[in-house]
Amino acid sequence: MGSGNGKTPRWGMAIDLQRCTGCQSCTLACKLENGTPPGVFWMRVLEKEEGVFPLAYKMFFPLRCNHCSDPPCVPVCPTGASYKRENDNLVLIDQDRCIGCRACVVACPYQVRFVAEGSEGYYGEQKTPYESVSYRKWQPGTAQKCTFCVHRIEQDLDPACVQTCPTKALVFGDLNDPQSEIAKLVREKSHFQPRAELGTDPSLFYLT
Amino acid sequence: MAYGFNMEMRNQQEWSWLVAMDLCLGGLGGGLFLLYQVFDLPRFIALLSLGLVVLGGVVLLSELGHPLRAWRAVFRLRTSWISRGVLFVSLFLVAASLYLASASAAFSWIPWTEGTPGARVAWFVAGLCAVLITVYPGLVLSASAGIPFWNTRLLPLLFLTHSAMGASGIVLLISPVHAFGQVLPQIESLAAILIVVNFIFVGVYLVNMNHSGGAARESVRLLNRDSLGRTFRIGVILVGMILPLFIVLWLPSATGLAGAFILIGALLFRYCVLKAGVYVPSALVGADTSKLKPISVDLLREFAGITTPRP
Repeated sequence: MGSGNGKTPRWGMAIDLQRCTGCQSCTLACKLENGTPPGVFWMRVLEKEEGVFPLAYKMFFPLRCNHCSDPPCVPVCPTGASYKRENDNLVLIDQDRCIGCRACVVACPYQVRFVAEGSEGYYGEQKTPYESVSYRKWQPGTAQKCTFCVHRIEQDLDPACVQTCPTKALVFGDLNDPQSEIAKLVREKSHFQPRAELGTDPSLFYLT
Repeated sequence: MAYGFNMEMRNQQEWSWLVAMDLCLGGLGGGLFLLYQVFDLPRFIALLSLGLVVLGGVVLLSELGHPLRAWRAVFRLRTSWISRGVLFVSLFLVAASLYLASASAAFSWIPWTEGTPGARVAWFVAGLCAVLITVYPGLVLSASAGIPFWNTRLLPLLFLTHSAMGASGIVLLISPVHAFGQVLPQIESLAAILIVVNFIFVGVYLVNMNHSGGAARESVRLLNRDSLGRTFRIGVILVGMILPLFIVLWLPSATGLAGAFILIGALLFRYCVLKAGVYVPSALVGADTSKLKPISVDLLREFAGITTPRP
């Protein structure tokens, strides 16, 4: 994957709110792919009840790191552990430099950063074989968040959540490539960026 | 930290008692050093201010996920108020120590003895850093665009005046065991003035936030209900302001108690401000969802497997 017009890619995601059924497949796929600790959900689908009986219905709102172009979590970091990768606009965290001050967690208006407190698994100190392998990736006491599955992007694969979504509500791609599906969707369909008024320029577009 | 799956307004959960203690101790230390400079208080007050700032740093270290990496926290002076705060604290400790050494007989061999330009520079730098130490927590919080209750220029000013009030509370607390002489009535008057000023500032702050609506209004609502409401009304307003003002004005024999009350209020004020930090809600909270297009027949047919999905 990559920009087809010579520009550096700007990875982004379009989320079709009409297509999302709130099945939480993306939530689970993310946990399986990244092996995040208990209580940590890099990707989650929020629910909201709307309307009144008999016309009540639920709305679903997938939420994850927006990989903002002007991320509020980066400048507050006192060590530079939170950084924006200039070659593809991904906002990432260098765990080895993170001191666990939680300034980025507080600064993120989307509440999608986490600090895993301990090294316990879902069943306490006794970890499952899967947990004992996957938790080696995370340092307790440091910040973590969605990376857009950067390890998969580097292998030309879609993020796990996108690959899993059964209704194809999630579309991932290069916003700087006018020929990409995501660029076409953003161009052609009505959409909004979450809390764009904060000036963060998120790379997430909710299609309405 | 586990977050919910419901779209609702929520306050930040990351910074709590330990951060409140750090902000409080640092502010009290900075404010106390300023009182030492302004009122020419005994040298042990300056040493106490140094101790408070160091203690605040120790509390902050205990809050960090990786305290051994704390030395890295000065690497983003250009953008991070936490980095700048670490610099202010470090400079304060160095400059205040150098100044105190210049005035101490035990350090008579150092070249910057009291009255020399070197000692005056240390005195000035220490005072400047003391002011910055009292203000920077407010700047750290006000940089959070996602929390409207903090995202105001009034907050650094509130932290400055609260730090000065808390520092005067320390002097009042010590006054029963140490005779401050003619300075004590001046400190008492200052404490009374600062209590009234803080009362007005807090009132203006809350009214302003309440009128801002949205998450800021929810913050004010949090400060008026349940346990946080009780902490704020009883701890910050009654114990931290009204009772000490009453004691200072009409019960001068109990100024030590007034000092203790002010200190309790100083800590609880920081705690309440931290806990009342409500995030701007997710994009769909409060939005007019009727404008979202209803699910189309084509999409329903696709979901039912009647038509082929998009590639």
